[in-house]
Amino acid sequence: MGSALDIPLHVKYIQSLGENKDDLVYHLTAHLRLNAVYWGLTALCVMKHKDALDRDEMVEFVMSCWDDEAGAFGAHPDHDAHLLSTLSAIQILVMQDALDRVDVPRIVKYILSLQQPSGVFAGDAFGEIDTRFLYCAVNALSLLGHLHELDVEKTVGYIRRCRNFDGGFGAREGAESHAAQVWVCVAALAILDKLDEVDVDTLAWWLAERQLPSGGLNGRPEKLEDVCYSHWVLSSLSILKKLHWINADKLIAFILSAQDLEHGGIADRPGDQADVFHTIFGVAGLSLLGYPGLDDLDPVYCMPAGLIESKGLRKDWEALPRKTSP
Amino acid sequence: MSELFADDPEWADVVPIRQYENVNPIAPIFYSEEYKDATDYFRGIIKTGEMSPRVLKLTEKIIRMNPAHYTAWQHRYKTLIAIKADLEEELRLMDVIATQFMKTYQVWHHRRLLLTAINSVDVAVLELDFLRDVLKLDTKNYHTWSYRQWILAHFNNETRLWARERAYAEQLLDADVRNNSAWHHRFFVVFSSGVRLGDEDREQVLRRELSYAKEKIALAPNNLSVWNYLRGVLEFTDTPFETLTSFVEPYTASRRLASGEEVLDLDNPLPSEKAELPCVAALEFMADIYEKRAGDAIAKAVEIWRSLADERDVMRKKYWEYRIRDALQKA
Repeated sequence: MGSALDIPLHVKYIQSLGENKDDLVYHLTAHLRLNAVYWGLTALCVMKHKDALDRDEMVEFVMSCWDDEAGAFGAHPDHDAHLLSTLSAIQILVMQDALDRVDVPRIVKYILSLQQPSGVFAGDAFGEIDTRFLYCAVNALSLLGHLHELDVEKTVGYIRRCRNFDGGFGAREGAESHAAQVWVCVAALAILDKLDEVDVDTLAWWLAERQLPSGGLNGRPEKLEDVCYSHWVLSSLSILKKLHWINADKLIAFILSAQDLEHGGIADRPGDQADVFHTIFGVAGLSLLGYPGLDDLDPVYCMPAGLIESKGLRKDWEALPRKTSP
Repeated sequence: MSELFADDPEWADVVPIRQYENVNPIAPIFYSEEYKDATDYFRGIIKTGEMSPRVLKLTEKIIRMNPAHYTAWQHRYKTLIAIKADLEEELRLMDVIATQFMKTYQVWHHRRLLLTAINSVDVAVLELDFLRDVLKLDTKNYHTWSYRQWILAHFNNETRLWARERAYAEQLLDADVRNNSAWHHRFFVVFSSGVRLGDEDREQVLRRELSYAKEKIALAPNNLSVWNYLRGVLEFTDTPFETLTSFVEPYTASRRLASGEEVLDLDNPLPSEKAELPCVAALEFMADIYEKRAGDAIAKAVEIWRSLADERDVMRKKYWEYRIRDALQKA
């Protein structure tokens, strides 16, 4: 029969992430801390347990990550500002209804300053470029209500140049198609109302081909399945309105089998160690597939769908209908 | 013997700065002694803005413990430039770190910055060689491949950089025909980044690439990468799928022709002994040919899609049913 989603257990797991740990791994991931808080919060929202983490404490933590020199957010107090953490900060504050804490003009300036002549965005002053950062910029500007300040043609032009022979998109111009990069490009195009840049049939087919006999999804041909692709592939298909091309039952079973039913959380594949990254993406996948008891997730913003809709930001995507029982 | 900066007299003049203390964090950090010590001193020299050889030692230590500490990388690079360090020596020093932490973004970005600053084709040649060694350890490493593609495009040197790339991709595909990264690289080198020296006869290039793809399909037909490659080549060159009918047909059969039945056709290699038939990708391809032919051929396409939906590729049943509906609607 297979397991069900153990929501109370995963909620406890997320709550425990902030607690005492002698774990070296925990502090070596300081550069991900703000992202991790966003992943945890989003998972809680989808599982309808948003209040499992204290709101005020969270907002204060986010604000403590403010890098006043740059005018944006770092991943952890004392870390330099970065687009990844800046987006996470904005997403958390929107979900906690605390966006008024933020110096919007300064952040907008920071974001726009990272756009390169080619149209792509750098992640920070270090200059690393990646379509992930392009998505962060577009999403953040949209949430801040300043998307109109973006040079859309220049931005879309770069995405266009990242389109490969298989219909997919890579991290940079010339790079191989990869499901995570496909999602950031497709979601950015969705926000910019430029989905006509996508060869929908070819790309949706490429995405559907990610499903392996186990029911799980991989990120590129001939690679292993991993629960996180349940988010990137499914969200992309949802935006392209071809989510039904995936065998939902088999994927749901795969995600559920990757749960750690002893300690909580979801892992990249059955038997491995759980982490908050795979927990949110597993839960996100289940939500899009209509798994009962979960809230709707917006696949463009990877945030609660109702919240995004209330801000007038909902785009034309489709998830599977929510079942009433497994 | 203590390895801590706190116990090192050479660092006595630096004021270490503890991780923020006043805020009650939602996500507290607990450090190992060495990491805490190193990052305390790092914050100390960030505050004073120091850029010196000892800062290189400090940042190296941090990076070896935590290669994703992007601020340490940033400051290291700024320091290298400020003190006019030997950047080629830095590359060599970083080789071990790149190999050890090849899945970390920062490692590769640092090398890209160095290559850009050094700005030498000689060094780019060495770098491509180094990447071959890295790819031996992880043939599909995404960062390594896209970094390789950047080097080629950035320096854009036909004779010294581009010239050996197709052969390199081929070498990897001979070792593992399912290496999607290598197929992508081949397309990148041959088609999507300009015309290579010696490839000016595009007809000849097309024949060569089709022949190569067919040969690899014959070897292992149930390989998505090579079929994607084949389709990509046909679409890029505006070559009708129809022209591959004779080649694809044997792959759609349920069994290989018994020996004696087959006619040797070098242009259309038959499935190898071990090939599992019929090949789903070949059926799909054949259905696309029928669909493009239109008219009476649509029924044949529908028949194939039906068999895929019901038997051959049930996982994607809804997709195949979509193809049927879509074709019948247009007919």
